[in-house]
Amino acid sequence: MAAAKIENRDDYRYFLSLQTRWMDNDLYGHVNNVTYYSYFDTVVNYFLIEKGGLDIHNAPIIGVVVESHCNYARSVAYPDLIDCGLRVGHLGNSSVRYEVGIFRNGEAEACAAGHFIHVFVERDSNKPVAIPKQIRDAFEGILVEQNG
Amino acid sequence: MTDYLDWRIADFPFSIDIPTRWGDNDMLQHLNNVVYNRMIETVVVHFTLGPLGIDWQKSPSYPLVVESLCRFHRPLSFPETVTAGLRAGRIGGTSVTYEIALFGEGDQVPASTGHFVHVFIDRDTHRSVQIPDPVRALIETHGIKA
Repeated sequence: MAAAKIENRDDYRYFLSLQTRWMDNDLYGHVNNVTYYSYFDTVVNYFLIEKGGLDIHNAPIIGVVVESHCNYARSVAYPDLIDCGLRVGHLGNSSVRYEVGIFRNGEAEACAAGHFIHVFVERDSNKPVAIPKQIRDAFEGILVEQNG
Repeated sequence: MTDYLDWRIADFPFSIDIPTRWGDNDMLQHLNNVVYNRMIETVVVHFTLGPLGIDWQKSPSYPLVVESLCRFHRPLSFPETVTAGLRAGRIGGTSVTYEIALFGEGDQVPASTGHFVHVFIDRDTHRSVQIPDPVRALIETHGIKA
C-alpha cells in the first residue's frame, strides 16, 4: 500500500488549538479514528465563523459536507494538545475542499491528515449557491494551489 | 466513474442495523457528518468480531485503521434506523479495504458510501504483518459479488 505523503505544519495556513478529552481515547488508549473528523468539523466551522463571519444560527446559507477523508499516520492520545492545521486545496463556485492536518504537542509532522468538502446551499431550499464574498475572501486567504 | 448511488444492500454480504440517537442530529437537523463515520467504523468492527472472529484483546495480530473515507449523498436523521452494508474490496498482503454503504430506513439508494482500510499489526512488534490465512479466507468470502 502506498504511504500517504507526510504533511508538515508549514503546509497549512490557519491553526486552531484543541485540548483532547478523556472520551476521545478508545480501547486502544489513543484517540479513536472517528474523533479526528470531529476535529475536522470543529476547525472548519471555527474558521467560517471567525474569518468568514458565518452566523451558524441565522445565515441564509449553510455548508453541507459531501465528502470527508483521513489518513492516519501516528496516534494522538488524551491528554495531548493538538493543533488543527487548515488550508483550502480547491475553491469552486459553491464548493470548497478543505485540507486538515492534526499536529500533536507542537510537532512539525502531522499525525493525521485528510480533507473535508463543503457545498454551500440555501438553508431553505437546499439548492447550491455561490459562496458569499466574505467567506470566499477568507478561503482565498488560505488557498494553497495543488499540483494534482 | 463508479456511480455510488447504484450500490444496493443486496451487493453487501454483511450488514447490520444501527439505531440513531437524539444526540446524533446536529443543529442542521440531520446526523452530524462524524456520526456517519462512526457508523462506518461500527459495521467494520462488527464484521471483525463476528465473521472474522478476531479477539481485539488477545489475537496475535489486530487490525488498525490507516485510512477512511465517507461520501454524503443524502441526509440521515434521528429517529430512523440505518442499515450499514460491508464488503471486502482490495485485499493486500497486510491490509484490506472495506467498502461500506449506509442506507436510510426503507431506502434503496445509499445515503452514504465510503471505505475503511485496515492494516494488520503484530501485537508484540507493533509492525504490520500478513493477514493470517484463516482470516484472509473469511474476508475473501465477503468480497464484491461478480
